Amino acid sequence: MEKIVEINNVTFYYEGSDTPAISSINLSINRGEFVLITGPSGCGKSTLCRLLNGLIPHFYSGKLIGEVIVKGYNTKETPTHILARHVGMVFQNPENQLFLSSVEKEIIFGLENLGLPREEIKRRLNEVIELFHLENIINKAPYELSGGEQQKVAIAAVVAMKPEILVLDEPTSNLDPLSAQEILSLVKELNREMQMTIIIVEHRLDLLCKHVNRIIVMNKGKIIYNGTPNDLFNQYNLEKLGINIPKVIEAYLRLKKRKILQNNEIPLSPEDFAKLVKREFYRVR
Amino acid sequence: MIAIEVKNLYFAYSAEEYVLKNINLIVNEGERVAIIGENGAGKTTLIKHFNGLLKPTKGYVKILGKDTRRHSVAELSRHVGIVFQNPEHQFFAETVEKEVAFALENFGYPKDEIEKRVNYILKYFDLQKYRDKSPFNLSEGEKKRLAIASILVYDPEILVLDEPTTGQDAIQKRKIAEIIKRLSEKGRTIIVVTHDIEFVVELFDRVIVMAEGRIIADGPTREVITNYEIIKRARLLPPQINICARLLEDLGIPSNIITVSELVEEITKVYER
Amino acid sequence: MSVRIDLFKGFQFKYRETIVHKLDPRTKGLYVIICTIIALMYTSPIPILLTFITSIILVLLSRVTKEWIGTMKSIALLSIFIFIVNYFTAPYEKLNFAVTMTLRLLTLTSTFSVFFLTTSPEDFSLALLKLGVPYEYTLIFNMAIRFVPTLARDLQTVIDAQKSRGLELEKGNIMQRIRRMIPILVPLLVFEIKRSIMIAEALEARAFGALKNRTYYYEIRMKKIDWILSVIMVLTFVILIVLQLMNILPEWFYWRIPM
Repeated sequence: MEKIVEINNVTFYYEGSDTPAISSINLSINRGEFVLITGPSGCGKSTLCRLLNGLIPHFYSGKLIGEVIVKGYNTKETPTHILARHVGMVFQNPENQLFLSSVEKEIIFGLENLGLPREEIKRRLNEVIELFHLENIINKAPYELSGGEQQKVAIAAVVAMKPEILVLDEPTSNLDPLSAQEILSLVKELNREMQMTIIIVEHRLDLLCKHVNRIIVMNKGKIIYNGTPNDLFNQYNLEKLGINIPKVIEAYLRLKKRKILQNNEIPLSPEDFAKLVKREFYRVR
Repeated sequence: MIAIEVKNLYFAYSAEEYVLKNINLIVNEGERVAIIGENGAGKTTLIKHFNGLLKPTKGYVKILGKDTRRHSVAELSRHVGIVFQNPEHQFFAETVEKEVAFALENFGYPKDEIEKRVNYILKYFDLQKYRDKSPFNLSEGEKKRLAIASILVYDPEILVLDEPTTGQDAIQKRKIAEIIKRLSEKGRTIIVVTHDIEFVVELFDRVIVMAEGRIIADGPTREVITNYEIIKRARLLPPQINICARLLEDLGIPSNIITVSELVEEITKVYER
Repeated sequence: MSVRIDLFKGFQFKYRETIVHKLDPRTKGLYVIICTIIALMYTSPIPILLTFITSIILVLLSRVTKEWIGTMKSIALLSIFIFIVNYFTAPYEKLNFAVTMTLRLLTLTSTFSVFFLTTSPEDFSLALLKLGVPYEYTLIFNMAIRFVPTLARDLQTVIDAQKSRGLELEKGNIMQRIRRMIPILVPLLVFEIKRSIMIAEALEARAFGALKNRTYYYEIRMKKIDWILSVIMVLTFVILIVLQLMNILPEWFYWRIPM
C-alpha cells in the first residue's frame, strides 16, 4: 500500500494566534483509502484539510512546524498550483465555488488554468458530463441550480482536473438529506470506480460510516482516534468524543449491554442491523 | 389561545408563479411544531409571514389575533422572534453586550430594564465571559447561541428557529435542544424549520411537511414521519430507527417505531419470547 | 424603486438570436466609440439626433425594445432636469444648448444600452482580453456580474434579520436613518469579505494563476460581417470629418435652434 499523504508531527499556529489550531498531528493515508475526519466544531478538521493542498502555509500565513508530504511533494516547498493538480478540494458552500456563468465554463476553468490543450479540455469535459450526468444542466447558470446540483458541479469541476486525492470539507452541510445522500454516493463511487483517495470531513456519520475505511476523530487540535469505524464504536466512551453517533449504532450498543446482541462487527447501517438481529433471533430459536 | 392562524395563504414575489399555495395552519399557544421539507419548498417564505416581513398576496395570517397586514414588522416582532439560519447575517456590534441589547433598544425599553435583561440572558446562555468581546471572535456554537440570545432577550411569546442544527456538531445540537425544551416548559410557542429528521423525532410531537409551496402533511410526528411517500416527496430521509423497524417487521416489530428506546424495548420483548 | 431597476434592466444582457447579438463585441464597441465622439463633438442637434436614430434602428433590429424603453423612461426625469438646468445657465442660444445637451445624454445612454443589451458579459470580457486587458481583470469582471444577484440576496437577508429585531429603516430624520444603516452594512460587509476569502480558496484549489500561458478555450472571432461593418463605420466617420474640415457639409446639418 503506497503512502500518498504523510503528516509528520505537524503543529500549526494561525497568524497572530498563541494557541495552535492543530498540534502534534501524525497521520498517514494510503492510496485508495476512504477516510472520514470528524469531531466537534473548532477541533481543527478544516485546518487539517488545508494542509493537504498547500493552502496552509501558502494562503494562510502562520507558523507551520513539522512536515506534510503529499504524493512526494513537501507542501512547504511546493506552490499551491502544483499541489492542486494532485489534490482536489471541495468546500462547504457550493455557491462560493462556482464563479462563472455556466456549468460548462465552470468545469473548463480549472483545465484552462492547467494549460491543457483544447482537445484535451473538450475530452475531459465530456467525460465529466457523462460521469456526473450533467447533460441537462450543462448550460445553466449557478443560481438556476439547486444546492445539490451546485455541489455536484463543484465536485465535477475539481474531478475534471484528475487529482489523485479528493478532499471534501463538510460538503453536505448546506444540503437537504436526499441531496446529501446523492453527493456522498457520488463520492463513494469516485473512490470505488476511480480509485481516488478520498478524505472527507463530515458530521453526518450515519450516511458514511459504512463506506469508509477509516475514521479520524479530532478534538481541540489533536487526533484522539484513528482507526476503523468498527473499533471506534466498540471501544470508546463515545459521549466524550462529541460526534454524532448514528442511531442504529446506539440501538446496537444498548442491546449489547442487555446481552441480547453480541457481535464482532458493529452494524453500521439499518440493513446490517436487521441482518444481525434476524441472525441472532434464528440462532436463539 | 391561538398563537398563529394562517388561512388560505397564497404568496408570490412577483407576477410569476405562487411560491406558497393554499396554506392553512393553526398553531396553539405553547405548542412545539417542526416544519420540514426540502430546500425551496417554501418553509422560510412561510415563516417570514409570521412577523410581517412578507405580507400575503391572498389570504391572511394572524399572530395572537393580530392581522399581519395591518401591523408593522417591528410591532409583530415583539411577539414573534425569528432566529435566521446564519448568525453572521446579523452581527454588527462591537461587543456581545451591545449585540444582545440591540432589539431592546429598538423596542424602546428603559435603560435599567435593558441592563437587567442583558445580564440575565448572557448568564442563561453562558456567554457572560464574552460580554465585552466582539461577536465575530466567538466559536461557531457560541455565535449560534448569541443569535438566539439576542432574540430571547426580549422574551417573545412565539419563537421561530430557521434551521438551528444545520452544520452544528452533536454537542451544539444538544444545547439547542435543551434551550427549546426549557422554553417549551415556560409555555412559549416554538416553531422550528429543519430537515434534520433525528432532531425532529427527539423534540417534536407535531410535524408539518411542505413540498413545492404546499403543506402536504400536518400531524403527529410518528404518523407523518413513517409515511415514506410523504417523506420522499419532501426529499427527506426516514429516521434510521424506522428503517430498521420496517426491515424487522416479520419478527413482529411494529413498523411505526421511531426512537432508539422503542426499538430496543421491542427487540428485547421479541428476544424474551 | 422601479426607476433604479428599470435602469439596470436596460444594461443587462438579453439573449436573442439577432444579427446584432452575433456581432463581435469589438464591432459594437467601435460603434459606441464613434457615436460618443460625434455626440460630444457637435454642438447642434442634427448630427446627434441622427446618431440617436441609428441606435434606435439597432434596438429594433436586436428586438430588445422593451428593455431599452425601460432605460429611456428611467432617465426621462434626469433628461428634463438637464434640459432645465442648461436652459437657464446657457449664456446665449439657450434653447439650442439645452436641446443639444439633452440629446447627448439620450444618445450616450441609448448607444451604451444597445451595446450591453446585445453583448454577453463573457463575450465582453473575451473582447477585453483580445485588446490586451490581463486575464485577472476580466475574471474579476465576470465574477462581479455573477455575484451581483447573490449580494442582493444577502442584503435582503440582513435587512430581514435586523427588521426582525425591531429595526425600523423608514423612521426618523436623515441623520437617524443613516445611523440605522450601520446594522445593515456591517454584517453585509463582514459576510462578503468572508465570502471572498472562501472564493479565493476555491480559486487556489482550481490552480488559478498556475501558468502565465493558460489555455483559453473560448474565443471570439471577427467574421466577415464584422470587418465590413467596422470598415463602413470608420469610413463614414472619416468622410464626415473630412467634409467637415473642407466645409462642404450642407447648411441644415449645422442648423441651430433659434432663440
